[in-house]
Amino acid sequence: MKKTITINVNGKRHALAVDAKDLLVDVIRENLGLTGTKKGCEDGECGACTVLIDGEAVNSCLVLAISVEGEDILTVEGLSDGLTLHPLQQAFIDDAAVQCGFCAPGMLLSAKALLDNKPNPSEPEIREAIAGNLCRCGGYVKIVKAVQQAAEMLQHAAVPQPAGRDS
Amino acid sequence: MLPQTFEYLKPASLGETLDALDQLKDKRVHVLAGGTDLIPFLRAGLKEADYLVDIGGSGLNGVTLEKNQAKIGAMVTFTTLGRHAEIARWLPAVSEAARQVGAVQCRNRATIGGNLCSAVPSLDGAPSLLTLGAKFRLQAKGKERLVPAEQFFLGPRQTVLQPGEILTEIIVRLQDNFGTSFLRFGRRKALTLSIVNVAAGVSVREGKEITAARITLGAVAPTPIRAYKAERTLEGREVTPELLAHAAEVAAGETSPISDLRASADYRRRISAVLVRRALENSVGRIAARVSP
Repeated sequence: MKKTITINVNGKRHALAVDAKDLLVDVIRENLGLTGTKKGCEDGECGACTVLIDGEAVNSCLVLAISVEGEDILTVEGLSDGLTLHPLQQAFIDDAAVQCGFCAPGMLLSAKALLDNKPNPSEPEIREAIAGNLCRCGGYVKIVKAVQQAAEMLQHAAVPQPAGRDS
Repeated sequence: MLPQTFEYLKPASLGETLDALDQLKDKRVHVLAGGTDLIPFLRAGLKEADYLVDIGGSGLNGVTLEKNQAKIGAMVTFTTLGRHAEIARWLPAVSEAARQVGAVQCRNRATIGGNLCSAVPSLDGAPSLLTLGAKFRLQAKGKERLVPAEQFFLGPRQTVLQPGEILTEIIVRLQDNFGTSFLRFGRRKALTLSIVNVAAGVSVREGKEITAARITLGAVAPTPIRAYKAERTLEGREVTPELLAHAAEVAAGETSPISDLRASADYRRRISAVLVRRALENSVGRIAARVSP
């Protein structure tokens, strides 16, 4: 029996009729047509289906759609405003951190969750943040480098605090 | 979609959850916590469900520190547990375990209660709790009991939980002068079952004599096990590197590991000795005069 749920995906509200057995990854890909979220292992091992739920990275293949009623979900399509690439996306291009590209959406979102919590992560912190994302091309070195570059770009772009704010 | 049809319930309180579980006792019911263990099982057909009862609305997601004890709700995620500053300070072994489970995506969903109830022999959530002498609060409609962590596990994927009963809370005593440490060893650091995991806890008097020692190992027996003989070799003796190494060998001798695709039984025994020694060393190093919150 289908139930209608409301979820916010990339800032847009969607009312969707879902079955209890529908997984979030399928609803994102099939019902919403957002195929940037990939299906890899479908077992929570590879991270290709990573999306952010309320800012935290999760494997959408292990989440029942019916259980995320009302939540805010970010997929790779929501990273850019449609005109300018997100610094992470730009850095992935600049550093050639994409080979076949299958892991890239998940990598980008795991990196986004990291940088939102920790704007200036160390290399071990970056590696830990993407430990749940497998890149079968083996391109981890460039991915780590791209995340470092994106962190720099984001900090550079950040509006400086007005003088005297701390005092 | 999952290859089976079931009904999904998300009761809005613990009372409603226990009512629902009581009414559905005769059905194939599974409790949904973080889903990181249950969903793959449902997909693979290793578990079949008529109903999933999501306990995310049951108010079991708090961590509270009282004067002498910490109370951890069963629905607390490993991310929340691993980030909790007071848990890291008072129960470092619990914190270390929480931060090493799976990977970020897993820790953001997986819960301590779900991990314990999965009862896989390699579960990383259990050893620290056995070492700390934690108690588990189990609740069913109109019923409640406290079970020592050590008595909760019966075998691989088997616990003392009865139909209609759920784990709601973990209670851990906070002890001054008790240093703890959790270590795991796997084929990689993330997303792999532990080949061996160990939690040690040690109390030392005047920087010398060991007054209490606790050692728990996982993935080397059907359930997490205490290494009682090793603990007895430590208690009452003076801390020396040789004694800790000896106790670690004794602990390794108390394991009964299997050979599987992750490691041979012999390898597991050898790694057990190394991890126990390191965990004991860490624990001794962490003892400091602390005052309960």
